[in-house]
Amino acid sequence: MTLRTPEEFVQSIADLHLQIYMFGEKVDDYVNHPVIKPSLNCISMTYELARQPEYEDLMLATSHLTGKKVNRFSHIHQSTDDLSKKVKMQRLLGQKTGSCFQRCVGMDAINALYSVTYEIDQAKGTEYHQRFKKYVQFLQENDLVADGAMTDPKGDRGLAPHQQPDPDMYLHIVEKRDDGIVVRGAKAHQTGACNSHEIIVMPTVAMREGDEDYAVSFSCPANAEGVYYIYGRQSCDTRKLEGNDLDVGNAQFGGQEALMVFDDVFVPWDRVYLCGEIEFSGAVVERFAGYHRQSYGGCKVGVGDVLIGAAATAADMNGAAKASHIKDKLIEMTHLNETLFSCGLACSYEGVKMPAGNYQIDMLLANVCKQNVTRFPYEIARLAEDIAGGLMVTMPSAQDLADEKIGPIVEKYLVGQCDTPTIDRMRILRLVENLTLGTAAVGYRTESMHGAGSPQAQRIMIARQSNINHKKDLAKALAGVGKPWDRGKAKVPTAVSAD
Amino acid sequence: MTAEQEPEKRVKVVYCGGCNPHIDRTAVAADLPADDPDVGPGATVHVSGCPRACASDHLLTSDDPGTVVVAGELVDGVPTSASELAPTVTRKLKE
Repeated sequence: MTLRTPEEFVQSIADLHLQIYMFGEKVDDYVNHPVIKPSLNCISMTYELARQPEYEDLMLATSHLTGKKVNRFSHIHQSTDDLSKKVKMQRLLGQKTGSCFQRCVGMDAINALYSVTYEIDQAKGTEYHQRFKKYVQFLQENDLVADGAMTDPKGDRGLAPHQQPDPDMYLHIVEKRDDGIVVRGAKAHQTGACNSHEIIVMPTVAMREGDEDYAVSFSCPANAEGVYYIYGRQSCDTRKLEGNDLDVGNAQFGGQEALMVFDDVFVPWDRVYLCGEIEFSGAVVERFAGYHRQSYGGCKVGVGDVLIGAAATAADMNGAAKASHIKDKLIEMTHLNETLFSCGLACSYEGVKMPAGNYQIDMLLANVCKQNVTRFPYEIARLAEDIAGGLMVTMPSAQDLADEKIGPIVEKYLVGQCDTPTIDRMRILRLVENLTLGTAAVGYRTESMHGAGSPQAQRIMIARQSNINHKKDLAKALAGVGKPWDRGKAKVPTAVSAD
Repeated sequence: MTAEQEPEKRVKVVYCGGCNPHIDRTAVAADLPADDPDVGPGATVHVSGCPRACASDHLLTSDDPGTVVVAGELVDGVPTSASELAPTVTRKLKE
């Protein structure tokens, strides 16, 4: 199959007849629902740009399985160049959508499982890797979107999966049959799940003895029997139901998260990639998280570009662009944003070829990247709010602007720099609002904090790889720690004569 | 830039530059069976100080027979404690 068009993609998602619930009701025509549609538009953009020659270098890659051009989102990285192009592609898409475009989780899942399944087979004589390669080829040849589903609800965080009072707090195997397994549980915070053709499930933590039924990885169609979705709310989401394009800030694009429920779902053996091998669940988690922490050095940077641009435009429209403190704040925002990009690229350039043949990012630098992402977007957002001014949260509504009587009053008093129409000033301020505390803040702020693992998860990985003993040795060597000391050489310094 | 051991040894060692070593690279190299007749000709060991594997151009394994890759506490991509690096490499070179 050739690359799908955006229209073919949307139709293919509609054809799945997914079981989606929102505001207590089942949503049948979900591809046209005003709350969901912007998120579909984001993934459509990954199809649209892939068909444009000027973006092909980033959006397409050559499959090592078929030798054909495929969308980079379903590619297994074959070089450090692939890793860096992934980050650049994500920046591009963040710029084009100003949102989370949701397709990264599947890409990061297939790359993590590709190497881990190989290593399980080497150690255990299983056949997971061959199965998984066939599955990746299926994704590539049909140009499909896959959701990478890792995060379980987790219940009591102090208890192991098998110790939970409710066994469904971690997705688990409830039955093993001759033809496959039956699984039950849920995956939380599932980015883009309702816009995906396929679901790739992975364990969410390293497993120990007793957790065998929870050490499970598999794929299934997004419309498999027993799978349903409960749509996640976002700040200001019902503005999308008001039917105007002003107050939403970004009328075209948006992110999406859902609670995905597996109610006794059957999975045939040829779709199972981990089944009880507890010692490998940690590797799946670490590698998926590592790739996803790299991803944030691209996608958040692209959204950051939009926010910096919005803040700079707001300054222009306020007539404040020449103020030195405004210029300095824009420089600071750019510095922070490019630092994130540097981290995304650095962990790519320092990537390694794994025994399975694919390339993996440098884990330490990927974790440093994500640790910065838990902080810098907040500071960029703070500076954007500073530059934009309080009007972004006190402005009257689009309905007021449209009103015959008070509309002209709103227009008169919300004017800024003389040449700027009030409506344009309102649009850019609404975009800043959208990114900093509206629907897009889900992706730009809180997802920056908790997506791909909360800050402490990165700190654990950084500590593990920090090589602190080497640093101590360096310091000791320079300070002379452990060397014998000659008291007699300690003399009072004498003044040096100018003569 | 890499440095190579004396050419007369049976095991050729290729080091990374050593910017941030997690292991003592020269100690690993010193424990290799440099003069062991059981090691085939053309044996090469890439010794990188950390998992970035700069000595082997970022490859954790090699397709060349007789070549073993050490990258921090990994031997051919398999986690190996520092004390077991040289014995593991030696075993592989004699296989």
